[in-house]
Parts: sequence; C-alpha cells; structure tokens
Amino acid sequence: MAEKNENTMAADEVLRYELLESNGPKGAPTGDPVLSVRDLHVSFNTEAGVVHAVRGVNFDLWGGRTLGIVGESGSGKSVTALSLIGLLDDNAHVTGSIRLRGEELLGKTDEEMSEYRGTKISMIFQDPLSALTPMFSIGDQLAEALLIHNPGMHKADVRKRCIELLELVGITDPEDRLDAYPHEFSGGMRQRVVIAIAIANNPDIIIADEPTTALDVTIQAQILDILKVAQRETGAAVVLITHDLGVVAGSADDVMVMYAGRAVERASIDTVFAKPSQPYTMGLLGAVPKPHVAATTRLVPIKGNPPSLAAIPTGCPFHPRCPMATPECAQNEPELLPIEPSEGHLVSCHWMDKIREKGLTFEDVYPDLEPLNPKWAEVPRDQRPVVLEVKDLVKTFPVQGKGLIRRNKGTMTAVDHASFKIHEGETLALVGESGSGKSTTLMQIMDLVKPENGSITVLGKNTADLRNNRERRELRRDLQVIFQDPMSSLDPRMPIYDVLAEPLEAQGWKKGDINRRIGELMSLVGINPDYVDRFPSQFSGGQRQRIAIARALATSPKILLLDEPIASLDVSIQAGIINLLEDLQTELKISYLFVAHDLAVIRHISDTVAVMHLGKIVEYGETEDVFTNPQDPYTKALLSAIPIPDPKVERTRERLVYRDGELVSASSLTRRG
Amino acid sequence: MARFVWYITKRVLNYVVMIFVATSLTYFLASSFMSPRSNYESRTPRPPQESIEASLDRANLNDKTPIMERYQKWLGGIFTKFDWGMTPQGGSVNQEMSGRIGASVKLMLFPTVLSIAIGVSLGVYTAQRQYHWQDRFWSGVASVFLVIPTVVLAILVVFFAIEINSAAGTRIFYVTGLQSYTGGNVFLEFLDFLQHMILPTIVLTIISAVGYHLNQRTYLLDEMHADYVRTARAKGLTRKQAIRKHALRASLIPTSVNVAFSIAGIFTGAVMTEKIFAIHGLGEYFINAINGNNIHGAVAVAAFSGVCTLAGALLADLFAAALDPRIKMS
Repeated sequence: MAEKNENTMAADEVLRYELLESNGPKGAPTGDPVLSVRDLHVSFNTEAGVVHAVRGVNFDLWGGRTLGIVGESGSGKSVTALSLIGLLDDNAHVTGSIRLRGEELLGKTDEEMSEYRGTKISMIFQDPLSALTPMFSIGDQLAEALLIHNPGMHKADVRKRCIELLELVGITDPEDRLDAYPHEFSGGMRQRVVIAIAIANNPDIIIADEPTTALDVTIQAQILDILKVAQRETGAAVVLITHDLGVVAGSADDVMVMYAGRAVERASIDTVFAKPSQPYTMGLLGAVPKPHVAATTRLVPIKGNPPSLAAIPTGCPFHPRCPMATPECAQNEPELLPIEPSEGHLVSCHWMDKIREKGLTFEDVYPDLEPLNPKWAEVPRDQRPVVLEVKDLVKTFPVQGKGLIRRNKGTMTAVDHASFKIHEGETLALVGESGSGKSTTLMQIMDLVKPENGSITVLGKNTADLRNNRERRELRRDLQVIFQDPMSSLDPRMPIYDVLAEPLEAQGWKKGDINRRIGELMSLVGINPDYVDRFPSQFSGGQRQRIAIARALATSPKILLLDEPIASLDVSIQAGIINLLEDLQTELKISYLFVAHDLAVIRHISDTVAVMHLGKIVEYGETEDVFTNPQDPYTKALLSAIPIPDPKVERTRERLVYRDGELVSASSLTRRG
Repeated sequence: MARFVWYITKRVLNYVVMIFVATSLTYFLASSFMSPRSNYESRTPRPPQESIEASLDRANLNDKTPIMERYQKWLGGIFTKFDWGMTPQGGSVNQEMSGRIGASVKLMLFPTVLSIAIGVSLGVYTAQRQYHWQDRFWSGVASVFLVIPTVVLAILVVFFAIEINSAAGTRIFYVTGLQSYTGGNVFLEFLDFLQHMILPTIVLTIISAVGYHLNQRTYLLDEMHADYVRTARAKGLTRKQAIRKHALRASLIPTSVNVAFSIAGIFTGAVMTEKIFAIHGLGEYFINAINGNNIHGAVAVAAFSGVCTLAGALLADLFAAALDPRIKMS
C-alpha cells in the first residue's frame, strides 16, 4: 500500500508538468481535472499466460477537452478506455486509481458503476453495426438510456428529449425515425444514434473507441463533426481512441501515444506533430503516407512487429524496433518524464536528453530515406503496352425484396459503364466508398467471362473470346488477386509450403521446380525460406500479407488485383508492405489494379486514379492531377474528407459535402442544437 | 396485413401439396411392405379362404386388388368423408386415432410446458454463471441425462417408483396406464390421474428439458458477449439487467423455433415412453400399427405427424417474426 502511494505521488509529480503551456486550439487546461487516472495496471489471465495490457498509465481529463489516445493494436488503448467505464471482462485484474471528481471508481461493483455509466461516463464503440440491439427500435433504445437513470421521467418528456437528441446528431425526420429498427439505418446513421445515446444524460466524460474506423471516409468526417457538437453541448471531456493520426490531428487537444501498455509520449496536439520526441512516435508519424503532399521519398517502415502483450521485451519495449537502441535500452524501462518542463511535454526514452539537445527529428533517427524508385526509366509510359483494358463495363444485380419471400424488384446497377486501362508496370487505383462498385469491378475482371456490357481485355485477349476454362486458367496465371484480410484469405490448416505450391500445382509444375520457386518467392517478399513448414497462424498480420503476396506472385503474373491489401494492417506495418509492392513492381514490371479507400496510400502508390461513385467512374486521371486539381464535385468532397495528419492544416480546412451533385460546406450542415 | 394473410395462405397451400405427396408415398410403401393377409392366415384355426378375402376386401386391404384401385378408393374415402380407412380387424382408423391423440395430449401437454420452463430457466441461469460451480454442476447433470437412452431412463424411474411403493407399503405411483379409478369423486379421480401421470412426466420432462437447457445456455452465451449488450451496459444498465433485457430476447429467437416444434410434438405423442408406461397414445399406436400390418393406421399416423410438423414449422416462423423485427412475413 505504501508503495502504491509512492507511485501515485510520483505520478502526480510528473503530471504537474502535464500540459503546462498547451500548444493547441484551446490553450492550457484550467481548473481541476474531471478524471484522474494514476498508475493504472490491467492484466488478464489467458491461455498464453498473463497478459499485461496496461502497465502504469497516468493522465488527467479536463471538461471540454479531447484527449487522443493513439496506438496500434495491442497497445492497451482500448483496455484503458474500458477500465475507465468499468466494462472490462471479469477476468481482468485492475489496480491503481481512477478518480472521478475525487471519487475512486476502481473497486466499485457492477451495480455501483452502473450509476455512473451513462450519466457521468459514456462510451461510443467501434462497430456501429453491432452496437445497437437489433430487436428494439431506435426510440426504445434511446429512451432506455434516459429512463434507466430517471425512472420517473414522463413519457412525453422522454419522447421530446429523444427527438431533440436525434436532431442534435443530425438525423432528419427524427419523429418518424424513433420507430425504426437499427437494420433500417446505415452504418453512419447508427453511429449517430450511438452518439445520441452516449450524450443523452449530459455525461462528464465521453469515451469514443475507434468511433470511425468501420466507416467510410466521408461518413467519418461527419461523425467526427458530430462528436464535436456533442462535446460542445455537454461540455464533456472526450477520450478519442484511434490508430489514425489524421483523426487525432483534427479532433484532439492533447495526445497520449501508447505502446505495449504504456504511455510513451504525452503532449498537446501541436507539440506532438511538430516535435515528436519519442522514436516510436517519430516513426509512426513518418511511416504514414501523407494525403496532402505528393510523395517524394519512399516510406520508412518501423522494422519488426508490435510486441505481444504476453511477452513484452525487457527494458524499453520499443528497443527491438528502435533505430536508436543501444544495449542499455534493453536493460531497464524508461519512465515517462518531462522532456521540456516548460511545455509539459512528456516522453519516455533513455535518449531523451540527446533528442532534445540535438533536436533530433524523424529524418535523423530513421536515416534510410530513399528516393522513390524510378518508374519510367527505360520506356516512356505511353509506349508501354496496355495490359488491362476495361471498356464500358456494366454489372447489374437483381434487387430482391426483403423478407422470407424474395421477389425481384428490378435491378441495381453496381458498375455503370466503367472504362479504364493499365499500362505495363503501372498502378491504377480504384477509389470509392463502400457500395461504389469498386470490388464488383474487380470481381468482374477476375471472373474472365464476357461482361453484361462492354469488354474486358487482359493482355490483349478479350475475355469474351475465351472459349473454355482451359484458356481461362492460362490467362489466370497472369492475373492474380490479393485480398484485404490475410487472416481469412490463407487457409489456417495449410502450411506455407502448401499455400505457395497450390497455384503452381494448378498450373502443372513439377515438384523440383515448385521447391525452387517457393524458395525464390519467400526471399522475394522478405520472409525466411526456412519457415515454409509453418502455419499462417504462426505469422503476424504483416508477414501473412507478405505470404499472400508471395502466393499471388507464384505464377509470375503480369497483373495483380489488390483489394484493400493494407487496410487490415497496423500503421507501422503498412509502410513495409507498400515498399514491398513498389519494389516488386520495379523489379518484375507487374501492373497493379489497387482497390482502396485510403486516399493517402493511393496518392503514394498509384500512377493513375479512377474515382468511383455509385457505379460510375466520375473522375479518371493522373494521380497528382486528381489530387491537386480535382474536377468532379464528388472527388472534391472525398478529398476534403480525408483527415490530414497535421493539426494546423486540419484546423483551417473547410470540409465539403457532396449532396445531390452539389457541393456544400460541412459547417452549414451542422446545426447548432 | 392483406399481404401477410396472402403469404400465410400460400405457405399453407404449399404444405397441403407436400403432405399429399408424402402421404401417398407412405401409402405405397406401407402397402408393399405390410401384409394384412398374414394376420388372418396365421390364425388358428385358419379361417376359410372366402372369409379372409371378404374381410380384406371390406377393409380395402386385399393385395389381390390392383394397388391403384385400392389407392383410389382409399383417397376417395378421405376426400369425401374424411375416412382414413379400416384396420385389418375392421375397426375405424379415425375412431382409434382420435382417442389416442387425446391420450397423447394428456400425457405430453404438462411435460412439454414443464420442460420448456425448466430447461430455458436453467439455460439462462447457467449461462450467467459460466464456468462457476452452478454451471458445471448443471451441465454435468445435463450431460448424464443426454447420454442415457429414454428406455433406460424410463425403466430406472419405474424401478425407483416401485421401490418407493414397496417401502411405503402402499401404491403411491402407478407405473402403467393413465387412470384406474372408476368412482364418481372428481377429486379422487384427479388424484388418481396425477398418480399415473407423475412417472411419465418425470421421464419426458427430463429428456426434453436437457435439450432446452443446453441450447438456451449456448444461445445466451453467444448473445451475452454481443456488442449491443456492452452498449446497454454503457448506458447504465447493470450486467444482469443488460442480459435480461437485451441478450435474453435475442437468445429466445432460436429457442422459440424449438418450442414451436415441441407444440406440434404434443399431438404426435412419445413412442418409447408410451410403450413403457402402457399409455395408449399415438406413439404406441404407430408401433402397433406397423407390427400389426395396419396399413391405414400407419399411413394416417404418418400424415398426422406431417401436418403437426408443418404446423410447427409455420408456428416457428411466426414466433421468429414476432420476436425479431428484421424478419418480415410478406
């Protein structure tokens, strides 16, 4: 107990420096914090051993301010959030202190905590599709949030308040929508309802756990705006948990970067982006492609993978991946201490003094900035052959009625006269939101059959002219696909050898040739060839995606179709995969058709861009032209919705919203409730 | 509403066709495998040949008549008089069955209700205490009863009942039939009924409660960890409230489907239990019909079971639609 007090006092001592002189839109915090977290530890007993998810986290929250907690998967950010509201699993072991206006919350029973949940602390979850009970109407679920804390509330008042809340979060015709069920709402609308529920009782703290990760970029922008409205209405302290630095840049006042269950850097928003001082933070900011500037250098990946929380490296947990690491770093773990006491900038690094004195930046710490691979070295682009040409492609689906009997209600045009072509060794990005028809286009190309309308020409062969499956199989050797989720696209019961051998066997290769080829492939994608007998589950997400790439490359294809290949990977891993794809393209002259929604990645990797909206290609051109001088209003709206990892740019930006073919400014839509 | 009625009508018409085809096939199958003639031929003394032929002709069971002719006559009887034919002995299948359906309903009604109530409650109770001793205990009990065959369980129950009877020196439990009291006292008659009912009720309740318990536990455990339960807790509901109000409702949707089929099962009876406790219900009748070359009886039972099962299926859909707003019946 004495030790704990000591820890708490030490933490208070350090946190004295917290945000002394805040570099952000709201200046330094004033008054007492609403919530104080001291020396928070959370561990779980699992089959893999004890997992230390959170290891000594300290921070304060002030009303009206937003704290962004940034980290990759397994950094402990979500567990930290869940422990604040007391929604951790029963097997979680929590120690430390969480005080809400001086009152200790840790140690309270579920019944006691339920008094605080919803009224004092509320939460917004990641996946709006599953966050609402499918059996109850929107109105019932909203009313429940009010009635559970105000049992005597009059029915008419409840209804009035529900309508008011739905209006506030921007749901049109709230009166009619009260009786609707969640499945009748889109993802973005459901997230609005979740926000309405969260603010129903004017909470002091709103925790938003990756609130926009599952949503499209334009919807994300709207949800983040509504979150700001919600904060303005309630005056609450917001905890915004995300892995997306762009989201933090536009929404947070203060930032805490977490790694392996600890805070490694803590500062106000502008300080973090202007002077990231922990090597991990530097890497995180440096590794992401920037959507607002043209790429000049290759991305610099942080080597290795985020550690497993069941086996955290000794010493500084980042040292195996840190370019500055010395043997000393592996000895003991650095404390989170002020690097610049006057600014309240806290950093956890053994080389803190060196970084401060020499003013080290990303370029100094990660010195391998290489220029982009020269792309059109030998032959100018126009003279390269066209490997894939799609002309006037149309794909329609019959629309079926809901319910047990499905009758056709007409047709839905998923792809509407799409045309584009890809030259050898070039990357075309197909951009659009979910439902825009980009994946359908990909599937149509993959099928290698005659499309409903128009034509698909692969390597000079029109798919309509392919007479049988044998010809199709031959063409398929040159056309391979990589899917989004390497977890589910690799058979978990097949060792890597079989995964890689399968496409070769399908093409009738001999055993000896297969073995040689597999060795080549493994080296090509940067995985130790000795690992061929391991199963996919023994690899990390990034390695698995490398294996998926190796599988696709097995038959030496000319064209790779990539369906969101990096969307499910951690930020620090993404850069490595992007670099790999770029290297492979330079080396093997492969063409990529890259389907993605992450515009920053697209700006980095692609030569041409086709923007899809409702099945149509609304804009098609050279990547830089499209990004710097978009013509179509939808493209303009899409580009304005991308969160930019630079708080100063992000703050002054005016978002545009696409409404029925016109552009309107987002601020004119957010109602002052 | 009109669309709903039309939808239900269409479903029922579909079912009628299905039952017609299935019943006809059963008729042909039963006619080719069963030989009512042997019932007469094996009698001692063997009846005269003309008399055998006459009896078989009267019951429309004579294998010397072409099968299509017999089928037409049988079908005609059903469609014109709803007469499901005669047994080889000359009894009316309609009459025999209606009495037995009544006995089956008497037997099954109570255990069905009881097993649903006990099974579902136990499932909910244990799911909320997953891996605690209560859950382990009841899951253990359920596994034991799951692997004991009905016949063995019934015989064990009978054995213990007889032990108790002899220990008490008086007959507390009756092990056969549904009633034996013949007096006029309503109270005593009811008591007598209970004394007969209690043993088969125990057997039937245990058997189906185990299924409900294990299923309901799984369904609720699936839903308990759903994101929306966490949302409900974040609103301020306690864990128990969130489970009761949000997870339970969702977990009852698959259970309601089982309940619908159980309701249909009330009418078709329980084959094994009826046989062991000598209760003259429909289940026992089905076995007897097959053993006794009672073609019309067996086909009628099959047809009735078909009707009950399809009624159960329709009921299951109605239950699901009532509980789940995502399902629309139109």
